[in-house]
Amino acid sequence: MTLACPETRLRFAAYLDDRLGREERSAIRAHLASCAACRGEASGEDPALLFASMGSEPVSAEDAGRVLDAVRAGIALKTAERRIASPARRFAGVAAAAAAAALLAITVGSPAPPRAPRELSARASVSHASDPGAASVPAAGASALPPVSPFAEAAGPATGKLPADATIYDWNPGGGQPRVVWIVDRSLDI
Amino acid sequence: MELVYSEARVRRESEELSDRELALAARGGDMVAFEALVVRKTPAVLSVARRIVPNSEDSHDVAQMVFLRVWEQLDRYDEHFSFNTWLYRIATNLAIDFLRSARSRDKAHGATLHVVRQREEATSGETSRAAEDGEVARLFRQASERLTGKQKAAFVLREMEDKDTSEIAAILGCGESTVRNHLFNARRILKREIEKICPGFFAGRGATRGGRA
Repeated sequence: MTLACPETRLRFAAYLDDRLGREERSAIRAHLASCAACRGEASGEDPALLFASMGSEPVSAEDAGRVLDAVRAGIALKTAERRIASPARRFAGVAAAAAAAALLAITVGSPAPPRAPRELSARASVSHASDPGAASVPAAGASALPPVSPFAEAAGPATGKLPADATIYDWNPGGGQPRVVWIVDRSLDI
Repeated sequence: MELVYSEARVRRESEELSDRELALAARGGDMVAFEALVVRKTPAVLSVARRIVPNSEDSHDVAQMVFLRVWEQLDRYDEHFSFNTWLYRIATNLAIDFLRSARSRDKAHGATLHVVRQREEATSGETSRAAEDGEVARLFRQASERLTGKQKAAFVLREMEDKDTSEIAAILGCGESTVRNHLFNARRILKREIEKICPGFFAGRGATRGGRA
């Protein structure tokens, strides 16, 4: 569909009111792109008509080539990153599983007055996982904890070495039964 | 020799495939198909990016990010929908994000950037139509600084890329009435800003109707 100057100008209002079909809109835009007089007329009407004549910017072969080269380089980089990351990720998964298993139950043989199991959440102020000390929780089989476990004092300085979203359970059944402290670390994605 | 021939043949075959077919082939690991898609879609992506992101170098960065994002997320492309809409959605989202971060950078380095841009604009040689286009493009860049990312994207897609309101709604992930709202506000703000930059621009011009939007 092609439009002459008078037909085009008659349709400006309908164009701005969004009353034209796609074909007519495109015809107006095509006419504006090629006719300086109508472009001059349209530009004073409304920003929509003023900028409609701009159309899509032409893209040179050089520009397109630059984008393609950069995309190729980006894909090569990301592929290399994935190759490097995947063994590390597998290792991290195994390490996280081992750490979780180690943290799951720490049996303490120190008798203390009987208490109901209680949950102590680590405070938000504790150090983050990036802190090298964040994982420095006693491993299974480590020497017995002191009679009053530092974990029982969740608000105390000892919890500063736990991740923020760790939950500590401290169960001391008494009667000579071993005291159990276990930590659920939700930051370990296993 | 055979390899060169084969590659050329594969590329030629790729050119005959639709966007969707190329996307599906690329999803299956066909890099020739993916590159054919990049070559085919670069003009459209770059054009939109240039309109939304004012700096030409930045728009190249956006285009690269768009295709990398496409490559990474091809698994998420639903082939029941238009590939173009999906691509434009990624492109406009990234361009809007880039615009936001550029604006916050501009606040910090506003004066320097302004001087650099003025110098860039003054030194570019242009023919008469190109000069006119350049002038209009500069006016748009300046006037559109006050638009939100969504308003700008809606206006660019509608008035420069000639997209339907329904398609823009799908690209921007909103309803058609919201798109119309964005367009209305964009036109109103652009008109106000143009009047600030060039006082009397719309007054006395355009006999058909004045004072719209």
